[in-house]
Amino acid sequence: MRRSAVFNTVATIAVSLLFGAAVVAFMGHSPLEAYRELLKGAFWGRFNFGGTLERFVPLLLTALAFAVSSKVAVFNVGVEGELYLGAIAAAWVGVAAAGLPMVFHIPLCLVVAMIAGSLWAAIPGALKACWRVNEVCVTILANYVAIYITSYLVGYPLSAGTGVPQTKALTATARLARILPPSRANVGLFIALAALLFTWWLVHRSTWGYRMRAVGDNPGYAEHVGIRARSTMIWGMMISGALGGLAGAIEVMGIYGYFLDNFSPGIAFDGMLAALIARNDIRLVPLLAFFLAALKAGALGMERFTGIPKSLVDAIIAMFILLAAMEGLFLLRRRAKGKEA
Amino acid sequence: MTEPIVTMEAIVKNFPNVRAVDGGRFDLWSGEVHALIGENGAGKSTMMKTLYGLYEPEEGRITVRGRTFETLTPTEAIALGIGMVHQEFMLVRELTVLENVILGFEPRKGGGRIDFDEAEARVRRFVDDYGLHIRLHKKVNEISVGEAQRVEIIKALYRGADILILDEPTAVLTPQETSRLFEILRTLKADGKSIVFITHKLREVMALSDRVTVMRQGRHIATLEASATSIPELARLMVGRDVFLGVQPSNRHGSGEPVLTVEDIYVPGDKELSKLRGVSLELRRGEVLGVAGIDGNGQSELVEAIAGLRPVEKGRILLQGREIQNRTPLEVRAAGLAHIPEDRNQRGLNRSMSIEENLIATVFRKRPLSLGPMLVPAALRRFAERLIAAFDIRPPRPEVAVANLSGGNAQKVVVAREIDADADVLLAAQPTRGVDVGSIENIRRELVRACEKGTAILLVSADLEEILSLSDRIAVMYEGKITGFLEAGEADEETLGLFMTGGAVRA
Repeated sequence: MRRSAVFNTVATIAVSLLFGAAVVAFMGHSPLEAYRELLKGAFWGRFNFGGTLERFVPLLLTALAFAVSSKVAVFNVGVEGELYLGAIAAAWVGVAAAGLPMVFHIPLCLVVAMIAGSLWAAIPGALKACWRVNEVCVTILANYVAIYITSYLVGYPLSAGTGVPQTKALTATARLARILPPSRANVGLFIALAALLFTWWLVHRSTWGYRMRAVGDNPGYAEHVGIRARSTMIWGMMISGALGGLAGAIEVMGIYGYFLDNFSPGIAFDGMLAALIARNDIRLVPLLAFFLAALKAGALGMERFTGIPKSLVDAIIAMFILLAAMEGLFLLRRRAKGKEA
Repeated sequence: MTEPIVTMEAIVKNFPNVRAVDGGRFDLWSGEVHALIGENGAGKSTMMKTLYGLYEPEEGRITVRGRTFETLTPTEAIALGIGMVHQEFMLVRELTVLENVILGFEPRKGGGRIDFDEAEARVRRFVDDYGLHIRLHKKVNEISVGEAQRVEIIKALYRGADILILDEPTAVLTPQETSRLFEILRTLKADGKSIVFITHKLREVMALSDRVTVMRQGRHIATLEASATSIPELARLMVGRDVFLGVQPSNRHGSGEPVLTVEDIYVPGDKELSKLRGVSLELRRGEVLGVAGIDGNGQSELVEAIAGLRPVEKGRILLQGREIQNRTPLEVRAAGLAHIPEDRNQRGLNRSMSIEENLIATVFRKRPLSLGPMLVPAALRRFAERLIAAFDIRPPRPEVAVANLSGGNAQKVVVAREIDADADVLLAAQPTRGVDVGSIENIRRELVRACEKGTAILLVSADLEEILSLSDRIAVMYEGKITGFLEAGEADEETLGLFMTGGAVRA
């Protein structure tokens, strides 16, 4: 079963790339050349490979955030808002706590960002757990609220006072070191990988994760065996929010060096796609996050050198999602056909 | 009548990792009741689902009325006059009985409208002919289980079935409803319908059927005339060895001090307030108190109220002298209670988790299974393997998902977890419902053993035989009250039946 899941993912990737090739050929370009440029754009040289990595980090973290909340049966569309709040919190600490040595300053920024994200995520979690308010509606709307809050903060109290709506630059003690200059890839990569390992351990090897999965799969069962469904759901959401906040912090501390109004082009939604395609399997999440990151990074190079619009990559991703969803359908059908004895 | 109406030969059906049916054989004569028996997982349902076209067999032939098929689709099966009443009812709860019956086969009148008058007239004919007694305009979610089953039967008849397959029809019925069902089936038979009756209750086989086919581990074992066999012989054929179902209460003494006292409690049901109205009982150390009653007379509410899963409006519940009403399930468990819930899929198990993860559900917080927040895989594995061996859970692999277990083995997981808690009081609600004979024997033996070790057991069961064979005392519930207490010696099915229908109220 495990092996077939990996196989399915790889096969799905292959078919959607073939589909992309057909589209390229139809437009009168050479598919081979397009993919060569795409690959080069994603992996060739420090700058390009770094570009893939810098996209990989927030995708991985936001995908993890989504996957974790799904373990407690919450469909958390609000990771984008958590990312924004985490980002502005990190920016605030990064500027305001100047003078701290780096070993304290960086962790402090990260922790405050995670707290901001988790508190924000606790709201829809509590609404759902206690009053059964639909979390999808709440989190979608909460995204707007969160983004406007950051817009206000960056426009007034935290503004750098220049014409651009951005905060002051973080002090050097709050910056994450670059690892592949001239790209913006940074040590946030290692923080993200550590978060991946921790999340896997948390979900599959800790008593907390055990409770989360028990509640998410069958709340009636959880109640029966004495696991509190409500509080478990709420702090499941808070862990999810913390991961979203962490993603935002790394963007600010590693990529930009300040908080810029509206800086995220929907990173968390791409992360959500990665998690959905991986069916929230934490072991598959990094694979898909990396694949999406490489496609997005490579698309720039492809457009530059072949003239094929980079939105081709979006078509490939869409195809990929369609195939993944179909695979889910087949699975359902097979289950309906071949269940029980 | 020289040819059977249905012949199935050399049927093979594989599921992932399992050969469910391996050379299955079955034939049905016109106008007979043919019982198909076997333990859970013996392949009975699978055999019949291939006949009804739900499964495609890998090998074998199916001949219906002289036409031979390799595989059937449900549409073909229905066209051939085959109807099936499934174990789980396939009804739309929000529609009325009538709408459910005609669904997909609605008589039409002009403009694509459904001709409800015509439909009702047609359905009414079946209702009257076979004494099915259902209310056509009730919504399905308002009718009882027995009535829903009759709806399923009418649905099959309405679609033209004269070969009727019933998959464990009595698993959900009270004794009264069961005898009513048997009446209906006899009428159908007298009318020339052929009936396949899947079950593992041997007394029903003897009461109703003309012939019996026994399956074991996917294989055809024997086909016998019912009049020429006996319950012990059938049990031996099913299990493959001799079995004893009536566990004899050994040196038990129900005279210990009371461990659980229920004092005049009022408890709401799902749809009404005060479904339980003034229930009191006392459970003593080392005894089994059976609670008999027709399903839906408040037994479930009583158990859930004690377990902390349902609020108590009024009254007290004392466990070892401490009040436990309106506490959380966790607190109630900590006070010394374990609970085998009546529905293993809704409450008892997390089907997507493994056997191991289900077994540790109430103890994972303790050392050595976990250290702080850290689960200790090796300790979990040892714990699970011990219970798997002690309760003979098959397959004996802790990592297998519970969804892949047979009903009997899934239930053993629940029973193992709850008995191993070594609680002062064990609530056992329908501990052997929908479970095969071998597992029933096993589960009952474990209950008795727990009782001998000092656990007091409150046993709620729809199976009177189970109540009678395990209990020291029996309480009968009727309409939210206890209508009588009987000592095990003075109870038999008849007296119990009388109390269960409110016939002899002596409180």
